[in-house]
This record gives sequence, C-alpha cells and structure tokens, in this order.
Amino acid sequence: MDTLIGAAKPSHSAVSATSADLLRTEDLRVVFPTATGQARTVLRGIDLSVKPGEVLGLVGESGAGKTTLARSILGVPPAPGRIAGGRVIFEGRNILALSEKQLRLLRGRRLAMVVPNPRGELNPTVKIGDQIATMARVHLGLDRKAARDRAFEMLKAVQIPDPERRMNAYPHELSGGMAQRAVIAIALICDPAFVISDDATSGLDVTVQAQILDLMRKLTAEHGSAMLFITRDVGITAHFCDRVAVLYDGEIVEAASRNALFLSPAHPYTLLLLAAFSHNPALRLGWSVTAAAAAPAASDACIYADRCPLAQPICRAEKPPMAELAPGHVVRCHFPVRH
Amino acid sequence: MLTVEHLRKQFPIAGSRKVVSAINDVSFSIAPGETLGLVGESGSGKTTVGRIVVGLIEPTSGAVRFNLAGDAQGKARPPNGKVQLVFQEPAESLDPRMKIGSTIAEPLQALAVERTEWRRRVRDAMGLVRLNPALLDAYPAELSAGQQQRVGVARAMITEPELVVLDEPTSALDPTARAEIIDLLKRIQIERNTAYLFISHDLSTIRFISHRVAVMYLGMIVEQGDAAALFSRPQHPYSSGLLSSVLLPHPNLVMESPVSLKGEIPSPIDLPTGCFLASRCPFVIDRCRGEMPPAETVGPGHSVHCFRHNEVAATTPASKTFEAYVAEAERTLMRPARQPARFIPQP
Repeated sequence: MDTLIGAAKPSHSAVSATSADLLRTEDLRVVFPTATGQARTVLRGIDLSVKPGEVLGLVGESGAGKTTLARSILGVPPAPGRIAGGRVIFEGRNILALSEKQLRLLRGRRLAMVVPNPRGELNPTVKIGDQIATMARVHLGLDRKAARDRAFEMLKAVQIPDPERRMNAYPHELSGGMAQRAVIAIALICDPAFVISDDATSGLDVTVQAQILDLMRKLTAEHGSAMLFITRDVGITAHFCDRVAVLYDGEIVEAASRNALFLSPAHPYTLLLLAAFSHNPALRLGWSVTAAAAAPAASDACIYADRCPLAQPICRAEKPPMAELAPGHVVRCHFPVRH
Repeated sequence: MLTVEHLRKQFPIAGSRKVVSAINDVSFSIAPGETLGLVGESGSGKTTVGRIVVGLIEPTSGAVRFNLAGDAQGKARPPNGKVQLVFQEPAESLDPRMKIGSTIAEPLQALAVERTEWRRRVRDAMGLVRLNPALLDAYPAELSAGQQQRVGVARAMITEPELVVLDEPTSALDPTARAEIIDLLKRIQIERNTAYLFISHDLSTIRFISHRVAVMYLGMIVEQGDAAALFSRPQHPYSSGLLSSVLLPHPNLVMESPVSLKGEIPSPIDLPTGCFLASRCPFVIDRCRGEMPPAETVGPGHSVHCFRHNEVAATTPASKTFEAYVAEAERTLMRPARQPARFIPQP
C-alpha cells in the first residue's frame, strides 16, 4: 500500500494483518476538556503510516495539533487531553493498549522523540555524558563503563566538538546547537526504530539547523530508522522528507510524496500555506478569504469550508472523504486543484 | 537619513576584567523609504545594533547620526517618535493588562498631541495595520499572535516615524501571519516612505523585503550590498554559507554554494585575531589568521571583508535560484480562474 492514508481503506483489522508499516495510526482522536464542559476535539481521526526507513514530514500551523499528535503516538497526550479513540500500531502492537510498564520499555528504546528547547529537556544538574549513558544502562542493560563508552561514541557521532570535555559538561555549559546535539544523542543511543522530531530545529540558527538536519538524516539512515518530522517550516520538508502530510485543525487534509505535494498541491489550505512562503501577496490573497463566510456550517461540513475560497454549498453540507487523487497522493477536498 | 559609523559596543562581565565585544566596528547608512536587512545568526550582534540605533543602548564608541526631514545637519538623537522599534515576541512586548487601544496610544504621551486627537490617531493606526476597530477594548490575550504583532506595528507607526527598527518581527509567527505582516510593512513603506532596519535570521524574508542587505558575523558587517546582487553572487564565504542553508519550499531548487559552514559562532569574549570566520572558513589562508581583512568595495554600494572575495565569487555560480523559485511559485500556486471540477473518487 503506497498511500499514506488509505483512500479506500479496508477495515482496521484487515490493514494491520498485512501491512509493512512500521508505525501506523488509525482514526486517532484526542479531546481536551474545557471549562464549559464541552470537550474540544484536537485530533479528529488521524490515519497515517510510516514505513521502515522513511521520513514523513508533518506540517501545520500552531494549534493544528502537531505536538498533540507527536505525544499521543507515544501514548502520552499533553494534559489535560485524552485519547478518545483510535489505535497506534507500532511493530504490530497497539501502543495505546499497552500498560505503563510495557510503554516504558518501548519509549526511549524503540520509539524516541526529539523536542525543541533542548536545554529545557536536559536535566540541569546531571552531566551530559551521564544523561546519555543512563539511556543505555536502562534500556540496553549495559554496565556503567560500557554505557559511558557508548555515550562517548554517540557524542562523537553527533559531532559535538571536544567530546571528552563535553561528557563532563552540564547543560548550561553548552550552546543551543550543542544541547540539541546532546538531545539527539540521547534519542538515538538505543538505535530506535522510530524517531519523532517535534520542531526540533526551530530554535536553531540556519547554519546549525543545516548541520543538525544532515546529522539526523545520516544517523537515521545508518540505523534504518524511520522518522516523523514535525515542523511549521514547510521549506525543510521539501528537502528533508520522503513524504509530507499537511495538518489543519486536527485533521490531515493532504498527503503526498514531497514532489507531488510541492509541485502539484491540491488542497486549498496547502496552497495557502505554500503561497505564504512565496512572498507574492497576489498568490496568497488568491487563497485567502477576506471575511469569514456565512453561518458556520453543519458539524459534518468540511473543516476548512469557512476559510476556503473554493467552498461551495456541498462543502458546508458534507465532509469530503480522504480520497486518492493520484497514486500516493491523497486529499480531503470536494474541489481539489488539478495541475 | 541614518548614518552609523564605526560603531563599537562592549559589555562588561560582572566579576571579570573581560568584556563581551558585541559590536566590532559597524558602519552603514539607510536612505528614506529604504529597507536595510540586517541578517546574521544569534550572537552576531544584530539586536544590539538595533537597540543602539533607537537609543536604548549607548555605544562604547562610534557615531549614530540622523538626517531627518527639516534638519540641517545630523543629530545624534532624533526628535521623539521619529525612530521607533517593533519587538520580536508580540505577546511579551504588550502589557497584558492594558487594552490594545491604550497600548497603541501610549507613544503619543511623549509627543505634543492633543488628547482629543488621540482617539482619531489610534483609529488611523489600527486602520493602517488592518486591525478591526472593534478590538480597541480587547486585551492582548484575546488576540492571535498575528493580531498582536499588528498592535506592535500600529504602536510604532502612530507617531509617524521616519525610521522603524524591526527586530525579528515575524520569527514568532506562523507562515500565513508572517506573510501578512510582511505585506503590511511593505505597503506602509510605500504609503509613508518609512525607512526600515529589518533585523532577521530568516534569509528568505530578508531577500524579499530588503533593498539592501548587511550580513553580520560576530559583531561585524562582513558584507553589505544590494539585496539582489548579494543574494545572486555573494562574495564573502559567510554570506555564501548562510545562503546555502536556505531551504526553499521547492524540492528541486537548492541554493548552490561552495561553502558549507561547520561548527558554530566563536565566543565574543575572546575574539579571534585576524578574520573572525577563519576557524569555520573553507577559503582560509594563513594571512586570514593573522590580520583582519579590510572592507573592499566590489561594486556600487557593495563592500566585503575578505582577502579572497574574488575566489569566493568565482566559485559561486551566479545564482538565479530565488528568481526561479518566484517563477515556479507563480506557476504552481496561482489560483485557477475557474472553479475546479468536483472530485468524485473512483470506488
């Protein structure tokens, strides 16, 4: 199955029986309780899949649910959110059905996450080398010496200058770029099969970002790891990812190979997003609606109908299905743009 | 209208005799209605330059002179309201307990503007940045990040400044909100002939908003020149390396450069002798480690601090990548004239 999101998707049980996916989410739903008592839906049924060795980009703006998705895949949606439905199948098992103990064995070992703000992620009172080595001791059962050796190898692999000295450095002694390298070392030391990068390069300078991206690609390729690369910088995904999915308001609206997504974008939201990067106001205004359209549509309307310049009555009445526009290129729109 | 000459700024380090050399001999000028893009990595001193220009920080040495409309000669300090600043973090730069109408009006306190005039001026400023007048009594927390930054721009523009220093005004924003703010700033510049010092680490934004560009590294402007010329044929290895790290949202368009920068910016506490880039530069020769290359003029208004700028320019093919991207974007992203046909998936 080459499509990211099954257009004519068989029932869930049938998919999981045959698929070669490393990780797959099926109809993943997350809700947040609100003060009014009515739950707010943050993820509206996410179906996506990643094959071994593949880098899947996920782009969207703040509030689209990117971080909620990343955390929910690890079974820990950000508080007070809770998973209201769906499954996350990783190496054939539903992560959401595992016990906390089983999950702990998986996270950090087979599934790893790299987050932004690396210095906030590191323990300020523990030396870098020890923080990295702890992962190998806990998950790989190495003794102290072997774990430290492995941590040192990792620091070299992430190209931290002067790794001998950095082993004994505290996080505040590292620059942002070096701290991000250390966090990557922690994430990759156990050879995880799947790495989630949640905006991991957003706080870095461009030249450092380029180095970190090269490094992540090199290390994941060497280990055959797959990656979910979450970012709001569409430019990165055009060069770094094999496939790209676009998230809008908790729903994936389009997904395709990177060439198809950038050369023949079909969903009006994807077009708006790309036009925003073009620095050409005429293009962006073409995909914007100046005023919010009439009454909010029915609950089963297209979620983008109110902001969509192509919206027709049917968009407010009927939610479009995720459908395959071309092999591997899926879009959730009644009126996708054809190139 | 603004001339900055040989600016230096050193910050003392508490408990030490050492100093942080944030700005090391920076000179540039900005003409009325012009945008100078100041680009560089964190720690390069961009923000310090901006703060010195608006007068929030005193330079250690060097001169900042304004030649504003109606002035016979340069002044070190402009009249109130003629030079304004827009901050990076829109949420943090607004008082959370102040209604946005009052926030926008605040700079008028320093000017001799009649109280009765304030309301009209605030409405005009809100109109200028396309903020709904209904938001006059809203608090910052009720606004989106893009709206908050519009408040920041309105607050700066209400005094009708001749120069606005924009310190990373869009880096905290989502792509669509960022594009709206950039368009807004360009429109205001055309309407009012306002000059901008636009500080950013985002090269593609700099490319599209600036008339001229100054590339900063470790407190120095290593290259400055016309935006299109500098981006199509950078002559300093650092400019070239920075450009090669730009990732355009197009899978087949890559910025070509013989330079890929390794490592990170050195500490501004113990400045290297010689050229500051020597430790990261693939063009380095012995001479670079011993002496600082002087500024050389390589074209009209184009200067560069590099002994080997000719070789850098020669090995960098004149790049039309940005132009190619603009054309590609137009081709791919133009809204079709006719409504696309209803798509009915095959069962």
